[in-house]
This record gives sequence, C-alpha cells and structure tokens, in this order.
Amino acid sequence: MWWRSPSFILDKQQSDTVPHQRNPPDTLPLHSPPPFSMADTLQNPNPENNISAYYQTRAAHHAVVTGDWLAQAQAAIGRDPDDSTDTTVATVAGKPFSVIDEFNSWRKQPELAEAVAAIRALAAVIRNCQATTMMELEIELKKASDSLKSGDTTSISLTAGCDLFMRYVTRTSALEYEDFDSAKSRLIERAEKFGEISCKARRIIAMLSQDFIFDGCTILVHGFSRVVFEVLKTAAQSKKLFRVFCTEGRPDRSGLRLSNELAKLDVPVKLLIDSAVAYTMDEVDMVFVGADGVVESGGIINMMGTFQIALVAHSMNKPVYVAAESYKFARLYPLDQKDMVPALCPIDFGVPIPSKVEVETSARDYTPPQYLTLLFTDLGVLTPSVVSDELIQLYL
Amino acid sequence: MPGTQTLVNELVTKLKKRRVEGSQETALLTAELLRSVISQLKVPPTNQAETLIEAVKSVGELLVAANPVELAVGNIVRRVLHIIRDEDFSVATSSAGGGDRETAEQNGFRVQTVAAGPPSRSPSLHAILDRTPDSEKAHHSSRDGDSFEGKGKSADRNAESWKLKHDVIRAVNELIEDINSCHEQIAEQSVELIHQNEILLTFGRSRTVREFLCAAKEKRRSFRVFVAEGAPKYQGHALAKDLGARGLQTTVITDSAVFAMISRVNMVVVGVHAVMANGGVIGPVGLNMVALAARKHAVPFVVVAGPHKLCPLYPQNPQVLLNEMRCPSELLQDGEFSDCMGVCNGRGNPLLNVVNPAFDYVPPELVSLFITDMYDHSNKLKINGLFGFLSAGHSLFCRGGYNPSFMHRLIADYYSADDLDLQKRSTS
Repeated sequence: MWWRSPSFILDKQQSDTVPHQRNPPDTLPLHSPPPFSMADTLQNPNPENNISAYYQTRAAHHAVVTGDWLAQAQAAIGRDPDDSTDTTVATVAGKPFSVIDEFNSWRKQPELAEAVAAIRALAAVIRNCQATTMMELEIELKKASDSLKSGDTTSISLTAGCDLFMRYVTRTSALEYEDFDSAKSRLIERAEKFGEISCKARRIIAMLSQDFIFDGCTILVHGFSRVVFEVLKTAAQSKKLFRVFCTEGRPDRSGLRLSNELAKLDVPVKLLIDSAVAYTMDEVDMVFVGADGVVESGGIINMMGTFQIALVAHSMNKPVYVAAESYKFARLYPLDQKDMVPALCPIDFGVPIPSKVEVETSARDYTPPQYLTLLFTDLGVLTPSVVSDELIQLYL
Repeated sequence: MPGTQTLVNELVTKLKKRRVEGSQETALLTAELLRSVISQLKVPPTNQAETLIEAVKSVGELLVAANPVELAVGNIVRRVLHIIRDEDFSVATSSAGGGDRETAEQNGFRVQTVAAGPPSRSPSLHAILDRTPDSEKAHHSSRDGDSFEGKGKSADRNAESWKLKHDVIRAVNELIEDINSCHEQIAEQSVELIHQNEILLTFGRSRTVREFLCAAKEKRRSFRVFVAEGAPKYQGHALAKDLGARGLQTTVITDSAVFAMISRVNMVVVGVHAVMANGGVIGPVGLNMVALAARKHAVPFVVVAGPHKLCPLYPQNPQVLLNEMRCPSELLQDGEFSDCMGVCNGRGNPLLNVVNPAFDYVPPELVSLFITDMYDHSNKLKINGLFGFLSAGHSLFCRGGYNPSFMHRLIADYYSADDLDLQKRSTS
C-alpha cells in the first residue's frame, strides 16, 4: 500500500511542514500549470514514479497531443535511462550496453506491444553477453530484467513479459542440451519470434470475437487499444454491419485517434465525452475494452474510465468484453483502486488552475472481475475465473 | 463405405424428422454411428489421425445440420474428435518411449513435444514461447506421425495404424458406457445433497432428476417434492405420478405458482437440455423464472446434467440455436381460437399469433451448483469445485459437484479447441 493517510487534513499539515520538497522530474519545462507540481508534492517523494513512462509512450503513440505537451512526454521518456544508473550488462568488450536503452528504442515503435519490446531487449542481452554457462546467462538475464522492471514500475505488460521470458529460460535450461551455443541461439530465436506470436495473438483474438459481433449491433469502446482496433477492423472487413460509440478518453484523448481510424474503415462512429457513457448506455449492445494488464482475480487494469464504464454497463445488464493477449496476465491482486503502483500522467485542463486545487492524475484504474463478462485472449474465450487457473499453471 | 453411408443417412433423416426424443437417446445414436464409421474406415499408414478426424468431421457436420437445436449431437462429435487426438498423442508418445534414438535433435524434438504438453489441453500461457507463429494450427498428431513414421519400419507402421483405431474404438465404447450409466453416477451423489425433511422443487420432467430423487429415497431420506407442471407439455404431471408411485410425497403446482411457493422450498433441482461453456444452461421454457425466483429467495439452484450435455460453445455463438419454435397447437385446446385465427389486418398479417418456444436460457449467475459424473482429469491441480453450497456435513470429495465458473476446466479436459467449429477444414 502506498503512503497515504486517512485524513486529508493530516496530509495537508504534513505537506506544509515538509519545506518545498518538490522533486520535479528532472527539470521538466514547467509549461504545465502548477497543479502538476502540487500533485507530486503530496505524493510519496519518489522521482522515478511521478510520470509513468508507460502511459507517456502510449500517449505518444495514440493520443491527440499538443506540440509542447509532446515535447514534455519525449523529454520524460528520454530521461529514463539517466535515472537508473547501473544498467550496463557485460561491459567486458568495452562498449556499454544498456538494456534500458535497447528497450526504449524498441518501445518507440507504435505497432509493437510492451512485452514484445521487453523480450526483444532481453534477447539483445543474451546476444551481447559473455556468459559460457546457462547459470551465468540466467543470472545476467535476471539482472537485466530487474533493471528493466525497476526502470518503469508502472508497466504491467513489461513486468509480465520479463517474467514470462525468465520462466521460459529457466525451463529451457532445465532440459538437457548438449551445446550451450545451441541453447543460446534457440533462446534468441524464440525471443525474436515472440513478436510474430504477439501479432498472431491479435489476429486470433480478432477471429474469436467475430462470433460475438452480430449485424446491427452497437459497440462501445474506450480509449485506443490495438487489439480492439484489430477486432473491429476484422469485423468491418468481413462486411458486418455495426456501429461504434467511441469515448473521448481524456486526458490523452486517444478515442479521437481511434474514431479517425475507424472512419477510414467506413465504420459508423459516434464520439462521446466520457461523461456521456451512462446517457447512451441503453442503446449499446456490448462494451469492448482492451487491457494494460489482466490480474490474478480476473479483473483488468486499463485506462482511467474503464471501471466507470464497466459499472454502468453492469447495472444495465450489458456485457463487457475484454480483448487481451495472454502475456498480459500478471501476478498482481489489487484489493482496491489504490493498491497498485501509482501511474501518473499530467493533465492539461486548458486553463490555469489555482495552486490550492489538487488534481487526480492517475492514468489507470482497476476493474474487478464481477463486472466483466468474458475475456478474449489467444488462449481462447475465457471467463474471468480462468485467469487465475492459467497463472497457477504457469507459476506452479 | 456404402454401409456407413446408409447408416448416416438413416440417422440424418431421423434427426430431421425429430423422431429421436431426448438428448441421451440422440447422444447414444450419434456415438454408435461414429463408432461404425470409424471401424469401417480404411486408414492409410501415414496421417491416420488426420483421416479419422476428417471423416468424423464430415459426418458430424451432416448430423449437426440435420438438427441444430439438439446440441448433444455436436457434443458427441467433438468428444470423439478429442478422443482421436488424445489416443493419437498417446500412441505417438508411447512409441517415442520405446526405441533408442540418441541424436541431439531427436532429443530436442522429443523434449519439445513433452515440454509443450499434450494437445488435449488448449494452448496455455505455459507454452506461449514454444508456439511457432506459422504452425499454430499444425496438429501434434501429424508432426509426430510424420517424424516417427519415417524412422519406423513398415511392420511397425501397420501395427501402429491398427493400434490407433483399436484404441479409438475402445475409448468410444467407454464413452457410450459413460452416457448409459450417467444417471446412476449422478444419483449416487444425491444422498449428500438432500437432507432429512427437506422440500425440493423441480420443473418439468427429467429422467436424471427422477433417478436422483429416487436414489435419495432408497437411502431412507424423507423429503417432499413440489413439481412444477411445465406447460405446455405438462410433463410435470407424468413425473409427479412416477414419484408418487415410488412413495415420495409430491405436490403439483403450475409454473406461475413457483414464485408463490418458493419461500417454502429448501432447494431447487432441475435437469436441463444443455450446459454452455460459460456455465449458463439451456432448459425447458419457464426455467429462467424458476431460477430468478430461487435467486430472489436465496434458494440453491442445482442443475443435474450428464456428460453429453456439456457443450463447449458459448451462447452468443451463431452456431448455437438457443431456441426452437414448436407447433402452436400444443397450446390451443380443441379449436378455441379457430374462429379468430383467420382474421387478418389490412396487409394480410394475422392479428392473432400463437408462439411456442421450447427452450429458455438461464445465465450462469443464477446457477449455484452443477452435479455431473464428470471429474477433473488434470493431475497437476486437485481443484475441488464444490463452492458456494457446502454444509458442514459434506465430505470434500464429492466427485461431481461443480461451480458454473469451473466449466472451462471440464471443457478443456473433454474437448479440443480445434474442434469447436466443425465447418473449418483447412488451417486458417
């Protein structure tokens, strides 16, 4: 549980006594209004966690942003390698290899999923490492994976991808291989192939969900999820007649981008502001969301606003479908909304906010499993209770 | 082959004309037909599993198209397909176990097969990095078959082909046995669920429920039963007569009286037409009302179902027809509407319509417990699914009681993911 006190009055007193302990993340140009700095004063002073690099990247890929906001985001991403110091792996050859750099360079490609970028980075670690036995290789990989995870603690698919790869390595090393090099090359080959597996996963999910989209249905989507977009694209290409309600998805407004893409596919789209979801819910037949992570209880962690939509849909008996690849299953079990690593993103209101006013800047929320109907994954169509089953099998 | 063709046509006609009543009958006929198809099929030495699967799929498609509402047909076809894949895998692994192959790549290959697990389990997170992106749908059977066939001698090949068919037929016989004996297995569990001086409610007429209740009666439990008559067929009357003849105190009520009487009831036990993959059930029309009444009064809603009723599809799947409209004359008595049936409005549409749907869908949230004779095969996890309806006196090893959310595990054990769509031929 993160530091917070039950009384906001105590909070305020403590913040007043702590003299100006603002740690703005590495001298960001303070173009953003004061609430941002106020927000991080009240948080646990921990510079790396103030802006979630994961959400920054997503915003950079999918959001509608103003130019200077984008510059801030780029600056924030670019600063990550500077924050973590000992990330070099195997500098015997003299050239410093940073797994975080590698990861960030992969992550910048918009089509690539986080977990794929992580696994590619770890593959690069294997390639560059000088180990001669499996144990050494494993130890180096563990170090690299730990540094990747600590570099961005908010990204669930990053953690899940690293864990998955580490388990795969451990399992492979347990099997007998005559030759260390062949084992190494096999690991590298598998890691490179993972990118294709991930693309294939999206296509499998799109195929599985086709049965659930019928002619004349209305689908509500939230934010920009590449998997959900693939689902809708496949449905449109197989000439199904349906319409989509797209929420705007503040603060990064990724819904606008999605509506753009859908309009290109000739799908009738209607844009809603986030508050209009309950108003239009009776016309909706189903809700489709993606997930940043699927947790052990079967719930999902996704962009802020997903929980709200799921609550409204559940109260009006509309099914909520989640499209997520299986490598997003994470060994987390949040008990409430605040029980996760805080992932913050700066919110631009367009007008200056007085400094006394707090802003809730969390970028994501947790939707408990009782509000979800089905999960479409590349393992098949699952009910939320199957997730813990799969995770137990993986980690047992 | 001509022999099987006539058999197939016979069954298809029977299904089309709805001459077969009841899912158990249909399941048995389907299983026996598939058994004869398999035994009369000439299998080539290579890719035997593929041939078997193709043949069974083509016959299965015809059968399912003849009566799409009877989900038991599709279930049995998919069970048999799963059996073929399973037996093929065990034949392949047993022949891998014997024989001495020392090359590194052979070790690697064998290790990979073992590490990826049997194909009977659907793709798992465990094996995610083992999957090759282009051969996702390639069957383990064909891969193993090809490589091991190449190494074996011709005598071995013939022996293996005979072995596979033999194993498959043996397993299909076991399946037929299971279907036949499901009532006894389920009825054995009744004594743990029914307590002394309880009042049960049932709906319509189900043979499984009848056996269930009678078994508890044999074991000297005294309890009373309310039977909702189940309009329009009124089969509840027949069940009530049956139970009365066996010495159980029975009360007949109308379907509309269920809400009025439910507060006096301790448990609702019903039989259903099919159980879907999400834990929802398809049952006789009116069952949803009973389920809602039970939920309102916090009465446990227990569903008893044999293994041929478990369907691996979801209710939203277009292949699943949730309902069938039966003949409206079942509702009408002696021509009471005959004078106004012909009246039409200006456009020729009849003003008075009579609709007779046969089934109802009950969502999984309303079901408390499933009683079946299936059990969880996996040896890694001894999950015992008796949640939500355990009282202190029960032992934890009730073999067949499951939570609706547990259906996915039973489906993973008894069906393969590749067989869900019987129409798909090639790898997509």
